[in-house]
Amino acid sequence: MQWIPEYRDDVPRVERFTWLARFTHWGHTVTFLLCLFTGLILFLDGVNWLAAIFGGYAGAGWVHRISALAMTALIGFGIVFGFKGVLIWIVDLLRFGFNDLKFLVLFPLEFFGFKVNVPPQTRFNGGEKGNSLVTPIMVFLLMISGYIMWFPGYFPASLVRVAYPTHDIAMIFATVMVCMHGYLGSFHPGSGESFWGMWKGTVREDWAKHHHAVWYEETYGSMAGEKPKTILGLPVFEEYKSKPKDAE
Amino acid sequence: MANMTNLYDSSKCTACRACQVACKNWNQLPASIKPFKGNYQTHEDTDGDTFTIVLMNEVDNAASGVDWNFAKFQCMHCLDAACVKACPKGAYTKTEWGATIHDPEKCIGCQYCTYACPFGVPKHRKREDKITKCTLCADRVTAGLAPACATTCAPGALKFGDRDQLIEEARDRVNYLQANGFPNATIYGINELGGLNKLYILTDSPDKFGLPVNPKTYGTINFWQNWVQPYFGWLIPVALGASAVSFITTRLMADKHQEHPVEGGHE
Ligand code: HEM
Ligand code: HEM
Ligand code: SF4
Ligand code: SF4
Ligand code: SF4
Repeated sequence: MQWIPEYRDDVPRVERFTWLARFTHWGHTVTFLLCLFTGLILFLDGVNWLAAIFGGYAGAGWVHRISALAMTALIGFGIVFGFKGVLIWIVDLLRFGFNDLKFLVLFPLEFFGFKVNVPPQTRFNGGEKGNSLVTPIMVFLLMISGYIMWFPGYFPASLVRVAYPTHDIAMIFATVMVCMHGYLGSFHPGSGESFWGMWKGTVREDWAKHHHAVWYEETYGSMAGEKPKTILGLPVFEEYKSKPKDAE
Repeated sequence: MANMTNLYDSSKCTACRACQVACKNWNQLPASIKPFKGNYQTHEDTDGDTFTIVLMNEVDNAASGVDWNFAKFQCMHCLDAACVKACPKGAYTKTEWGATIHDPEKCIGCQYCTYACPFGVPKHRKREDKITKCTLCADRVTAGLAPACATTCAPGALKFGDRDQLIEEARDRVNYLQANGFPNATIYGINELGGLNKLYILTDSPDKFGLPVNPKTYGTINFWQNWVQPYFGWLIPVALGASAVSFITTRLMADKHQEHPVEGGHE
């Protein structure tokens, strides 16, 4: 049985994520998971064996705080130095349209392996657009509430009391997203190829045509040379409704 | 075992603060010297080295000009205690006679209890990163003694004993006070928060003594402890389970129509 789709360098590949995006993503993944497991110790009310992995409760507390600082620094780093990439990301999210809705409706079927006919998607498909909205918001809430819980003396007591459930709810929603997201971005046979986009930077050209037809056509395909309409100097295509010819 | 507690009588307290000193002495607490804030109260609040203080409330009174209302303040040893629920480490326990005991060995200094307590009693001791608070002198009580503060109180404003008996005594005393110039005299601690293991005879309503009239556990803390912690977390195993199911079904279905390579996915 196959775990992750095999990396093929004998077929044409196209670039999907820059070095900076990949570094930030994986650095964030590691610090997020460290925060998660050290945090779960308290959320589950004293899981001694999990605490022991981090050298006891005091150790876990420090791992949580140091990872939190590293995570904050990484996000800041990613936004500052990859500002253009963040803008491209945001503009792509703003293109949310009918094809994304269709994707979201069909997604549960595709998730469990049914064959479905998904309309052409932009750089990020409907599900990734949802993930790109929910996860960053939850991480932002985790950071705000986390620093309040770390330094409660500097904040009004009522705000500290709001931070507690906020930190937990944001943790739960972020973790639910990350569970599905991490699986889809690796072991899922349909979308698993995207793992190589995030790991090595490139994906198979035929996979890109299949899964992100609009993005492929605009970036590498038939429409690559065209001067698009722009927002903030970034390309915006309106032809998202119809399927590009070459995507068959 | 019956609940054992302190009854504090504000009509007898002279605010000598011998209880504060006795508490420091018995619990080996270093002095905590605070700047003068323009009144006689030694500390604004309890702190990591001060388990009890005497509140000295100056309250305007149309008849007498100003009332000087004293109230000894410390952990209330709530019978249904918010701190016990909030602590992620189970550092708090209730003794069978009603004291709320905090175990510093288990404490990690997260301060959830400080913000969960309706009285804001548990205080963070920075140098150890631990919480401290009044113990109801559990070490003395289990050895057959009364708490240090109650033992030292010269005017007899603090009395340690069986909670039910003390409630009877307090009722008699309040009746007497109401008949003798304190019409608003009342008992504090019988029903507040489902019962406090601390009883107060007050010569006026609780707010005139710096005590919350109808103390409540915080809604945000209740929501967190009673809903978020026990139930919301189940979403995570559901997401993991769905992924595990998908891992298997996607592979089974890919095997069925072999003409499509596994990584082909949809379309
Ligand atoms: C800037 C980021 C963060 C900061 C400053 C922060 C800070 C804190 C602090 C101070 C606590 C209280 C416990 C203690 O004193 O050790 C805590 C608890 C916790 N954190 Fe974080 N955290 C952050 C990010 C995260 C992330 C990313 C997650 C998981 C996805 C997370 C999950 C948790 C959980 C589950 C708890 C336990 C809450 C409970 O007891 O119910 N935190 N965090
Ligand atoms: C657990 C292991 C993880 C794996 C295998 C993984 C994999 C991936 C992959 C392959 C992509 C690119 C998808 C594409 O081609 O568009 C991606 C994007 C992304 N990842 Fe992760 N990731 C993981 C953890 C995380 C974590 C912990 C977070 C944040 C808490 C996160 C947040 C994101 C976001 C916001 C995107 C962009 C939006 C999207 O494509 O959904 N990832 N990830
Ligand atoms: S007064 Fe506060 S610390 Fe004391 S038992 Fe009640 S909730 Fe706990
Ligand atoms: S500070 Fe200590 S006693 Fe208070 S909730 Fe945290 S672990 Fe429990
Ligand atoms: S009961 Fe003991 S710990 Fe509590 S205030 Fe009195 S002397 Fe201090």
